[in-house]
Amino acid sequence: MSADEQVAPDRPARDGDDTGSTRTKLDRATAVASGAIEAPHTYTVASQEWENLPDAVEDDLMVINMGPQHPSTHGVLRMVLTLDGETVVDNKPVIGYLHTGIEKNLEYRPWVMGVTFVTRMDYLSPMFNELGYCLAVEKLLGITDDIPERASVIRVIMTELTRISSHLVWLATSGLELGSTSAMIYGFRERETILDLFEFVTGLRMNNAYIRPGGLAQDVPDDFADRLTRVISELSDRINEFEDLLTGNPVWVERNKGVAILSAEQCLDLGVTGPVLRAAGIAHDLRKAAPYSGIEQYDFDVVIADTADAFGRYLVRIQEMRESLRIVGQAMKALPGGPVMVADRKIAWPAQLALGPDGLGNSQEYISRIMGQSMEALIHHFKLVTQGFWVPEGQVYCAVESPRGELGYHVTSNGTNKPYRVRVRDPSFLHIGALPEVTSGLLLPDVIAGVASLDPVMGGVDR
Amino acid sequence: MRGFGSGNPNMASGEAVKMRAGRVPEVQLGEQLARVRDRLVGQFEGLEVSGFRGELTLVCAPEQVPDILEFCRDDDELSCELLSDLSWVHWPSGQREEEAEETTGWPQYRGEDEPGRIELDYIVRSLRHNHVFRIRTFLPDSGARIATVSGIYRSAEIMEREAYDMVGVDFEGHPDLRRIMMPDEWEGHPHRKDYPLGGVEVQYHGATVPPPDQRSY
Repeated sequence: MSADEQVAPDRPARDGDDTGSTRTKLDRATAVASGAIEAPHTYTVASQEWENLPDAVEDDLMVINMGPQHPSTHGVLRMVLTLDGETVVDNKPVIGYLHTGIEKNLEYRPWVMGVTFVTRMDYLSPMFNELGYCLAVEKLLGITDDIPERASVIRVIMTELTRISSHLVWLATSGLELGSTSAMIYGFRERETILDLFEFVTGLRMNNAYIRPGGLAQDVPDDFADRLTRVISELSDRINEFEDLLTGNPVWVERNKGVAILSAEQCLDLGVTGPVLRAAGIAHDLRKAAPYSGIEQYDFDVVIADTADAFGRYLVRIQEMRESLRIVGQAMKALPGGPVMVADRKIAWPAQLALGPDGLGNSQEYISRIMGQSMEALIHHFKLVTQGFWVPEGQVYCAVESPRGELGYHVTSNGTNKPYRVRVRDPSFLHIGALPEVTSGLLLPDVIAGVASLDPVMGGVDR
Repeated sequence: MRGFGSGNPNMASGEAVKMRAGRVPEVQLGEQLARVRDRLVGQFEGLEVSGFRGELTLVCAPEQVPDILEFCRDDDELSCELLSDLSWVHWPSGQREEEAEETTGWPQYRGEDEPGRIELDYIVRSLRHNHVFRIRTFLPDSGARIATVSGIYRSAEIMEREAYDMVGVDFEGHPDLRRIMMPDEWEGHPHRKDYPLGGVEVQYHGATVPPPDQRSY
């Protein structure tokens, strides 16, 4: 490779390609400290030309592209890393590969349909997206206090199970990234017990669209409590196994301890919430600070650690799974009877589902009533299903504590049957913004552990 | 709440209904938020207070935003450590519905030409005092510019990039204002209401499905 041929400093900048901006952004403290004021040219290296590269690189700084198709970047995250030897001087995350315009899409569909969209944002915690959106819609409607008790309790059960399943996927993927395939296979196996339960209740493993404005899509099946009891007892054993497998594991400890430190001040400055903030010693949890769906009536602790590193985040997440199990157990005992949808017929979804021989589907009894007996019921059904309900104008901000932190829904209504604007504050998005700070000064292999410990989900980042 | 049949089902056709302070029912704020309101209103001039569903909103002029946010962060009584969110809403220019008369069954319109505006909402949260409220400001929708607050809360850096990308607000003094979701050479800002949506071609007699904002359903 001839270095001159490969130098392409005047290539037009495309999609975050940092030919120009690396040069301007190298004023980060670390770069200045190491004497690297000027950024090097960008080198394009084809295969088998790597051995010639060191001669061509000036200042010992190298810009390396990692991702978007890298197995350890949690989906399609791309990082443009400036390296001094093996040390990261600067990291510029590039996102947008999974941008689907969900926020804009919501503006052209009735309020109820929004659930189907938001559940696909952060695909590892679909229930939290549904809950945050529905809480916002209900607050706009002014029916927050009218949600039936049974619906609220089931919401808590389902979201806390989602938290466990999300943490299990985090454990599985970050285990895999650090070379522990056992953590990976066990993490995904355990998660499957929860997804099986979700399929049993909602008909779908993920993207359930189960929580709806006003309540739930349908009630839980009859033997829900039995299945749930089995899941709880199974999981509490398995979480202990994870601790046995990893907490004392020398490789796991070495790779995580003291890595990717983010102090409490940095976390707050960068908007980082959730387990990462709690691992820095701040006991901030929206379930305690701004309780939703009656979660304040259950007895649970906010888990914190004081190490502010990747290992502390691991310990916090493991313990959080146990706390979630505690909540689920209490909620199951407290599960009252009654409806799962608000009584207001102008809002409540009219269609009823029933379990038939081929699975969950339309209730034949209901169909025969609206088709054969009551013209008014048919009109009502038709109006509500095609047009939905009207929501008074106003603007609310509703936040829930998702597995990754504060998941906020900032919803604006202009008094019609469709949202005027839905803005989602996804915790993963803010965590991506914190990446340069987290990874500066780390060794390249530790970047993997650092990114994994923040647990960004790109579906939520890009929306 | 409006019942069925009232209002225009084709709401998204650009005739956005402006939220008016007078039309939003004044709601009692909690004790803590009332203290926040008194503190800020006493400190800054020209703040307009509105409340909806128990949430506190303070509307200020664009040039006041950095000062107010810095005060919110540093003041002991407010102590907002976290900039929870930066949100934006585009209210395009045009005629707005002034008054909907429900009793006659037919809405009465009084056409009013309004300039287009972009609403920015800074949602700040205090962990120590456990309160959350929003600072709202309006910018003209063409050539919108406002000073960055990324020097006050670094979390604003990535959110302002998204706002720049999606509605085209120029945050002056931002260290790295580039597109973040859309490709760099993309034209237009997708979250603006006047952003063209495009229809769908149908493989039958050359028919098309109109763009979502022009559909009658």
